[in-house]
Order: sequence, then C-alpha cells, then structure tokens
Amino acid sequence: MAGKERAAGGPLEGIRVLDVSIMAAGPWTGALLGMLGAEVIKVEPPAGDGTRWVMPTQKGMGTNFISMNVNKRNTTLDLKRLEGRAAALALLRTCDVFVQNFRGGVIERLKLDYEAVREVNSKLVYCSISGFGETGPLSKAGCADPIMQAFSGFARANGAPGEGLEAFRFTGFIDLTTAAVATEAILAALLEREQTGAGQKVEVSMLEAALEIQYTRIAELLGAGLVPCPRGSASPAAAPDRAYAALDRYVFMTVRGESEWQGFCAAIEQPGLASDSRFATNALRVENRDALDALIEPILRARPAIWWLRACARHGVAAGLAYDFETFRHHAQIVENGMIARLHTPHWGEISVGGLPWHFSRTPGAVRAPAQPGENTDEILAGLPGTVAAGHAGDA
Amino acid sequence: MPEMLESVKVIELAEGGAGPLAAARLADLGAAAIKIETGEGDWMRGAVPSMPGGMGAAFFHLNRGKRSLALGSRPEAARPLLRALAAAADVFVTDRDDAELERLGVADAGDARLPGNPRLIVVRLSPMGRKGPLAGAKGSELTVQAMAGYTRYLGAQGEPPLRLGADVASMGTGIFAAQAVLAALYRRKRDGRGQRVDLSLLNSLLSMKSIHLAAQSDPDVYSGPRVGGANNPPERGWKTADRPIFFQFGGSVGAEGRAGWAAFVRDAGMSRLLEDPRFDQNGRTTTGHGVKVHEVREEYEKEFARFPAETLVSLVRKHAGNAAVYARADEALAHPQTAALGIVQEVTTREGAKAKVRAFPARFSGMTPQLKGSAPLLGEHNEAIAAEAGFPGRGYSDLVDSGALRAAGR
Repeated sequence: MAGKERAAGGPLEGIRVLDVSIMAAGPWTGALLGMLGAEVIKVEPPAGDGTRWVMPTQKGMGTNFISMNVNKRNTTLDLKRLEGRAAALALLRTCDVFVQNFRGGVIERLKLDYEAVREVNSKLVYCSISGFGETGPLSKAGCADPIMQAFSGFARANGAPGEGLEAFRFTGFIDLTTAAVATEAILAALLEREQTGAGQKVEVSMLEAALEIQYTRIAELLGAGLVPCPRGSASPAAAPDRAYAALDRYVFMTVRGESEWQGFCAAIEQPGLASDSRFATNALRVENRDALDALIEPILRARPAIWWLRACARHGVAAGLAYDFETFRHHAQIVENGMIARLHTPHWGEISVGGLPWHFSRTPGAVRAPAQPGENTDEILAGLPGTVAAGHAGDA
Repeated sequence: MPEMLESVKVIELAEGGAGPLAAARLADLGAAAIKIETGEGDWMRGAVPSMPGGMGAAFFHLNRGKRSLALGSRPEAARPLLRALAAAADVFVTDRDDAELERLGVADAGDARLPGNPRLIVVRLSPMGRKGPLAGAKGSELTVQAMAGYTRYLGAQGEPPLRLGADVASMGTGIFAAQAVLAALYRRKRDGRGQRVDLSLLNSLLSMKSIHLAAQSDPDVYSGPRVGGANNPPERGWKTADRPIFFQFGGSVGAEGRAGWAAFVRDAGMSRLLEDPRFDQNGRTTTGHGVKVHEVREEYEKEFARFPAETLVSLVRKHAGNAAVYARADEALAHPQTAALGIVQEVTTREGAKAKVRAFPARFSGMTPQLKGSAPLLGEHNEAIAAEAGFPGRGYSDLVDSGALRAAGR
C-alpha cells in the first residue's frame, strides 16, 4: 500500500477510552482499542495494578503489566475519594468508551455504575467485564484465568486420552480471550451509536468468553451430544489430525476434506490407502481412526520429520513442528508479518509483546510501549474542572 | 427494533472455523451473509459428529443465518456472478489465496481495489500470514497451535504432545476477524472507504501470547508460571474427597494482595499450615500458580481429602479467594450461572424444530442480537442469489449449464 494512502492511526482514531481495569482481561481490552488507534487513558489505584509485581519482572516492572497496558497513557486516581471520582467523571464526559472490571458490587459502591455515569455522558459505551457475569448466583464470586479454565470445561477437554483433565499451563489465555470478545462487543456498540446517537452498557464475562473460544466443541455438544474430553493431540472432528512420531521427532499433520486425503496418501506413498473403503470419507476415517493410525504410524516413524514436511508441502497437506520462544521469535514468517512487536521502553529496556492481530491496509495502527504508572497524571488532569490528582506521579 | 447491521451485506468465501465464525456473529448482529462454496463444499459439512440429517454439528453452528452459493465444476465460469456479488457487498471474508481469487476473477476485490466499490471491506485469512516464506503454505488448527508454542504448556516432557481441546486458533481468529470488520465499518462511516485487513491463525495465537512473550524477553529472574509453565508437570488441580478443584489466594491490587488465606486455613481446620515455614502468610506462593505449588500440593491434599469439592470452593470464596471445581463442558452449560446469563438460547430451524445454540458472547443494554436458526444446504440458494445479482431465469440456467454453478439437487 502506498505511503500516502496510509493514515497514521488505526480505524478508531479519534475515539477516547477511559480504562480503570486491572490485571489482564480488562487491561488488554483497553490495549486492543489502543492498537486500533483509540486514545486510551489507564487509571490505576494508588496501590497500583497488581500485575506490576507479578513474576517475572524486567528491570523491576512486571512483564505482565507491560504487555497488558501497551498503547496507554497512565494516571493514578483514588476512585474511593470524592476528588478521584470527580476527576473520573470529568474525564468520562470527554470519553467514548469506559472499561471496568472490578469485582461485583464495587463499581456501585464507587458510584461509577452505568446509571451514574450515563448521567454525565449518554453517548458513552460502558463496558463492564466480570468473571461470571452480573446476574446469577456467582455474580459476586471472584474469578481468574485458571478458575474459569476449570469452571467452563476448557481444562476438561485437554490431556492424554483417558485422563480426566489438564489445565493449560499458560496463564492468561482466557483473560485475553475475554478481552478479545469485549473488544468485539465494544466495536458493535460504537457502530450502533453511529445510527442511534446513544451509548449503551456492554457486559462481557470470562464465562461467556471461555465458552466462545470453545465454540466448535460446544457446537458438537449442543448439536450432537458429544461431550468434550481429552484426546491427546487428536481432534473429534477429523482424521488423521494429530501429532505422529517421525524417526527423530513429532510432526503435526492435519487432513480435512477429500483432496487433502488424496494428497496425504500420495505424500506417504500409499496409493492403495486412497481407495480403501474404510477410509473413504472423513466420517469413516474418524470412525476407523485406530485402524488408520495402526497403518500409518509405522510408515511415519521410518523417516525423519523433515521428510514428511517436504512430502506434505508437495501434496497440499498441512504439516508442522512444535516451536518455542527461542525458535520462533526470529522466524522470518513471524517477523515479516509483525506477529511479535518489539518495543523499546525508556525504563524497562527492549521487550517483546504480541503483535497486532489484524493488519489494516489503510489504517494500520501500531503497538506502542505503555506509559509508566502515574506518568501522565498531571497532563491528563490539567484543565479538568475542579479536580486534583489523588495519587502522585511516578510512584512505581 | 431494527437489527444493527441490517443493511450490511457480507460474502464469505471461507471454510473451517475462523471465517465462518466471524460471518455467523455478523449475521447474529443483523448482516445478510452469503456463503460461497467450491468443490465438495466447506469441509466442516462432513466434520464429525453430525446431526440428524447428516450436517456436521459444528458446521450448523458456524453457518447459521447464511445462504449458500455453490460453484460448479468450472468455477472460473462464475466470474461475472462473483464480480457482481462483490460489487454489491460491504464485506468480503475469504481464506483463499491470491491465485485462487485470480482464477475466480476477483483478485482486485480481494485486494479491496474493485472498480466501482471503494467501500468494500476485505478480510483475508490465512494459516500463517500474508507475507513471508510460508505465505502460501497449508496450515491447520493443530499445526498452528504447535508452531505458536501452545502445545508446550500441556503434557510432560518425554510424553507424546497434546493439543488444546478447544480450537483456539480458529475461534480466536474468528473473533479478531469480526473485530476487524466492525472496526473497518466504523472507519468507513468516517471517510466512506473500505480497506483490506489481513489476519492469520498463527498471528492470532502469538498476539494472545503477549504475556508470555513479554515474560521471556529479558526477565530479571527466570521464575514464575509465565516462564516455567512449559517445564512444569501436568496441572490437574488439587484432589478433594470427590472432584479436583483449582483455588488461589493473592489478589489483584498492590504488591501484597488481599488477605484471606490465613482465615481460610483456620476455618478449614488446617491451622498447622500456619506454622509450616514453606507456606507464606497470604497464600500467594502456595496456591494458584504460585512458585511453591508443586512442592506443597500434597500438604493441602491431605487436608482436602476431608471435604467434597463444592464445600471447599465455598470456603475459599467465603474468605475472598477464588476457586472452582473442574467441570465438564456439559456441566458448565447446565450450571445455574450459565443459565442466568442466557448463554444457551433456543432457535427454530428450517424444519421448524428447536435447536440450542451458543448466544452472542456479550449482552447489550440497547440492542439484542437475533440468533439465526438455519444453516444452508450446499447450493441451496443458488437460483435466488443469482437472480438478485442480475442473473435471473435464463441467466441462471446458463450459469448452471456452463458449470459455473452446481446444479440443484446434486
């Protein structure tokens, strides 16, 4: 795309966001809106967002905090005090989006609930993020990523065949899923505002997000009564679709439709398999997957993974290897597509965070380093009527 | 109340999970979606398990609310029809590569440069990205999970690799793709112009790995679950008298976190842990993903053996900790909390039957997404779609005869 065609900001340039959330699900919502070009102001309580102390740190700052608060300016406000609340309301008069994820009941005590905030800005899109939702028996229960992995069935779909469960030892995935869903919902509400002129409240829970990321498994459950369970590296939907031991290491392979099946049989040099009636359709291959695996396992084990990668590539079959941070961070595919963003921060050095998930041709947006806690308090509050900073800048 | 995306026309030339989920959610918000299929159709039609009648269950849920246009044995003959559809569309979602779009005569549309439709928003999906050495390569949910390092956080070293049971790469990309469309529609309201947006399964998983990428960059100390998780043993929670639970104390504000652990320990009759130097006094290091979890798990489990899981969960919550029983997805759906949020809704299918579907994942005070109840048969709407695009009657017959469209009843 020609340089003159590209606007500097993202598609949400001109949108202003007040983000009083802490930890991950709320903060990454603000971060995504910032990556889309919105101006985002993070408000931290005087005690600080707890992620600043979550291990590991880099030059003293929690890496969790850095990654979840990109594209934000930062101000400290004590929302429990009258002047802190007044400052927040004054800011909200100038904002398009509000993001909060306090435990159930807290935002009402702070008198920053939707009814109160709508009084000062009826055009505001008010996004409230919770663990279990705002109604129901668990609406006041605290939540966190591994809690929702357990509650939602997410963990019970992982593990070796026959095992009961295995949690994803990758903290924050459900948090970030929640943020992605919240951003989808906020965008829908911003678009609706274009037609009606009115803002609205948007409620997103980690429970809804955890069930959205399981959409296909939930579909199989609702549509055909199949309860998700651990299947090793295999999937319920297609076969072959799992990791196979090659001579030297595991290779991950997937066959879906009929053309891929024909390609797979060619790649493993088994033309007879392609006409074997036991494996003629995906449904039959799933039904007879043990017999199929018994045939192909010894074939795959006889040659190194690289052989199968080349053979699969020649025949249009998906195949790959498992990587880790050190083997993918400089991978040309990942670098050229900007999937990881390298940030130069004034205080914490160079740090890698997730890249933009979307690449807009005309309004690309960017990932930018977060401000330090309290760094922008004075400039943000300057000019707001009748407010003073409740915390002080630079208390990190 | 009119639906919010009522005037938005979406054409989807995509299969599998990501593109279809995005278009299905846009349809829930009111968009009119046409699904274009080639060859044998979306492979998900034949995915296991299937519903009565043979349609893949996941296909039904991913393609509710769409009409289907099935191209025939000579798809290149459908170029005039496809160009007419693109000219009238607001959104074009596709997972086809440049060569395939060229063959179908819509390469310019695929690059958001269709003459006469500068408002077109194009979402391009690929396994591993638009550029780079693997730009055209095949990929899948599984291969991308492995490549993004996700499989490292399951299982144990020396054991066969595992995948996440949820299709996180494709569903995550579906969510990001819906965002891309909504954000580009918002921008179009400002300046009247569409644009191209590129997404990939691999990119989505790395974007969602942000916490872990940051943790591994240049940590002061190589410590904590965000760097150690890949080397830890399988995480199966804490055993109780019946089912396993996960629990954590700590908290989200300030350096010290919330109190509660000591009171929980006393309330549960486990006061001996207060004297044990391996336990800190707020539970941060020995619960949740704390650094001493593996060291002292058995100490908790000796005590937890006296309690049913639900009792322990209540006790933890009473003292401001977080806890949950490891539930199956069917138990999660049946839970009163899930019911209270309306997460599963009933819709009416084409046959007039009732079907349960996953509701839109957010609630709005000012609008209600209208969940659609029917997914199309392959090519079900060929004639109607052709007629609307300017090929009625004889024009439609010619498209069928030339092999541009799949003949009805096949």
